[in-house]
Amino acid sequence: MREDDAELLKVAGTILVVEDEVLIRLVIAEYLRDCGYRVIEAVHADEALLVLRKSECEIDVVFTDIEMPGSMDGFALAQWVRTNAPAIDVILAGSVNRAVQAASDLCDQQDHVPKPYDPQIVHDRIRRLLASRGSRKRDLQSALEQAHTDGARLS
Amino acid sequence: MRVEMACEPALEKNKTTVLVVEDEILIRLMVADALRAQGISVIEASNGDEAMRVLQSSVPVELLLTDIRMPSALDGLALAQAARAARPGLKLIVASSQPAGHEVAGLADAFFAKPFDLKGVVQRVKSLLAEAHHARG
Repeated sequence: MREDDAELLKVAGTILVVEDEVLIRLVIAEYLRDCGYRVIEAVHADEALLVLRKSECEIDVVFTDIEMPGSMDGFALAQWVRTNAPAIDVILAGSVNRAVQAASDLCDQQDHVPKPYDPQIVHDRIRRLLASRGSRKRDLQSALEQAHTDGARLS
Repeated sequence: MRVEMACEPALEKNKTTVLVVEDEILIRLMVADALRAQGISVIEASNGDEAMRVLQSSVPVELLLTDIRMPSALDGLALAQAARAARPGLKLIVASSQPAGHEVAGLADAFFAKPFDLKGVVQRVKSLLAEAHHARG
């Protein structure tokens, strides 16, 4: 096994699955649980927001359908997460054409998954996102340190 | 680069499955987590219509735990009746913040008042599942 694959296998986390079709939701949720993740299921964005606002739920990744009933669709939910909980990664799933461009604007690593989706592809995306968190945090930290140094020089 | 699967989920598992039907996500999550902690497989539905889609599919369900008051075409009692017709051997627990009426007594294997005594619910679920397994031999 390659070293970077071994690193991916160590990653686990809590996934919030947002999907209004119960028979799709139960399959992907059960699959991800079998892969070792804690999975919280929400039927639509309003439920997802209740979970996201509860800090003890400690969500790492939101995996959401794009088209959902309720006050928000998947795009709006992703935008809410970006604004209010930027540490949480978002993966969008959907079949609408505009999803590709909109998802690439909203999500890390252009994380749009076309529906119907293969659970294994979803799992791969989640593992990659979680595995890349360390390096993204380090990049942010060095950028902040550089900004601090530059600021100190200017003053 | 394609990453090898980190796990090989057994999609066809002989696991005991409970269908939890509750429209309030934080209550549904609390009950589902408590049952999963006991090794029970849980399917979550947010209303009676979702629950019927599960019961009308080939997904195995051994026990239905449902709230009575739900914002869907089917409330918990109508769901319980439809579930009994669709799956005659199904164990059934209903819950409500209102006292149980006579219709509940003739329909359900157990009734729980809300807010939930979570420990009591988990114990009752386990004992009903044990009964179901015993009956099946």
